[in-house]
Amino acid sequence: MQEIRRSFFNWNYSLPSIIMTSKRFFFHTRSILLLGLIALAGMPRAEAQEQEERRGISNSWLLLQAVPSLSWTGLPAGTHFSFEWELTPVLYSWGMTRLDPPVHFFFVTQPERFAGSVEFNITTQWYTSRIGTSHWGFSGQLMAHLPLVEYGEYLGLNLGVARYTIAGSSSNFIAGGFSTLFGFLHYTVKYSPADKMVMHSIDFRFF
Amino acid sequence: MIHHHRRLLRFFFSALIILCSSIVLPGCSSFVARFIAKSFEDLPSTPEPVSLKNAHPIFQHVGLSVLWVGHATCLIQIGDKIFITDPIFTETAGMISKRRIEPGILPAFLDKLDYILISHIHFDHLSYGSLSMLPRSAAMMLPAGSGAYIPEFGFSAYREMNPWMSFEADGVRITAVPAKHFNGRYGFDGLWSRTNTFTGYVIESNGKTVYFAGDTGYDPDLFREIGRKFAIDLALIPIAPIEPHDFMKYVHTDPEEALRIFHDVRAKFMIPIHHRTFVQGLDSALITAQTQLTMLVVQQHLEHRVLVLNIGEQQILAP
Repeated sequence: MQEIRRSFFNWNYSLPSIIMTSKRFFFHTRSILLLGLIALAGMPRAEAQEQEERRGISNSWLLLQAVPSLSWTGLPAGTHFSFEWELTPVLYSWGMTRLDPPVHFFFVTQPERFAGSVEFNITTQWYTSRIGTSHWGFSGQLMAHLPLVEYGEYLGLNLGVARYTIAGSSSNFIAGGFSTLFGFLHYTVKYSPADKMVMHSIDFRFF
Repeated sequence: MIHHHRRLLRFFFSALIILCSSIVLPGCSSFVARFIAKSFEDLPSTPEPVSLKNAHPIFQHVGLSVLWVGHATCLIQIGDKIFITDPIFTETAGMISKRRIEPGILPAFLDKLDYILISHIHFDHLSYGSLSMLPRSAAMMLPAGSGAYIPEFGFSAYREMNPWMSFEADGVRITAVPAKHFNGRYGFDGLWSRTNTFTGYVIESNGKTVYFAGDTGYDPDLFREIGRKFAIDLALIPIAPIEPHDFMKYVHTDPEEALRIFHDVRAKFMIPIHHRTFVQGLDSALITAQTQLTMLVVQQHLEHRVLVLNIGEQQILAP
């Protein structure tokens, strides 16, 4: 934990270092392979093809993705507020009817996520206060969403693994938490067994 | 170079914050804020009990009967076929809009159900908790494009319908008809919808025709077209919320507009729906819309054709 704290503070901010950190992060994420297999297993069913044509990425959706989620993260060094942008490259949903395809790329509705799914998502955080020498953080998460009340709209359990890179230092975490208010409000605890470090976060997520 | 990047980033984030504020703050306008505040005030209250609760609402066979369960939920029976519209039995719609009066029946009273008609995906019309209480034998009819919002409830069939699309089976013909409302379930998602995920329905069975308007604003051309295409015996038409009228007039009908729809579709009878049950809009009292409608009905001498039911009341229109 001390090493991570030290490295948080020692990270030198620059654009090339952000890019390199991101590359390391992407290449070291084994879950991409797993998600590829999930995607192949869940090819859209015939009934869902018409639905697929009706949905998808529109200009207004793209524009609204610029609206960041709001996040308060409790790190060992203190609590930090951040703006967060999420991207869901792939999500496999098992809680929907045959009208809806089980595999989704980037465009995901709340019920598709919270009525039962597993997703791979990547996020970028911009902390309003510096962590070490940087405002930036990156993460990749493989999360399962299990509905508890009202098909996950009122209460959902979220479990998974995450890899966080903050201020140039990366750690793997086991993540667990709850979501409520139709998936807008999340509380998540992340624990890094290697570093014996706990992170708490409260997120207010838009779409 | 690094300083240049930082200045650019600061500029970018300042612009983004201004953009976010400009998107979010108008959405939290006085109407939304006042509605949420009004809803929170009512959350601790207990729904008023319904004395008319009918434990045996289904007949062996009936020409046409309607039981108003509350809000837009109506139990319709034509012959031996049972239909329910926009079922909601829960104490809140979407966690914060409080039910003021208990539902007119309990889902457990429904030992048979053939069709569930969903007009759109708003919380007060597509209630997951309520749908999970209904018999699994039913088939669910939905507006086109709403499949991404329907969890698996275990119903016998799910069918998405575009406007004017019909479904026929076992002597029943259900046609989706246009409505004038708005998309989305959570707010932002309405902005990126590619299709209109709202509809009305016309049910034809056993020589009877029932029009369920769902949730709609007023558009004379639209309703006159429905009136030309069907000989409607009964129209179920929303009459609330009314306030704030400048906003509501585009997506909801007040009692006066509801009566215009009744005339436009040339129905024999009308039952007002979508009132009294939940905290809606900024209507000052839950009875306002019903009071206004009753006055208009008397003025227009429609007492025998506009049937204002109490929650839980069942009307047999054809034995």
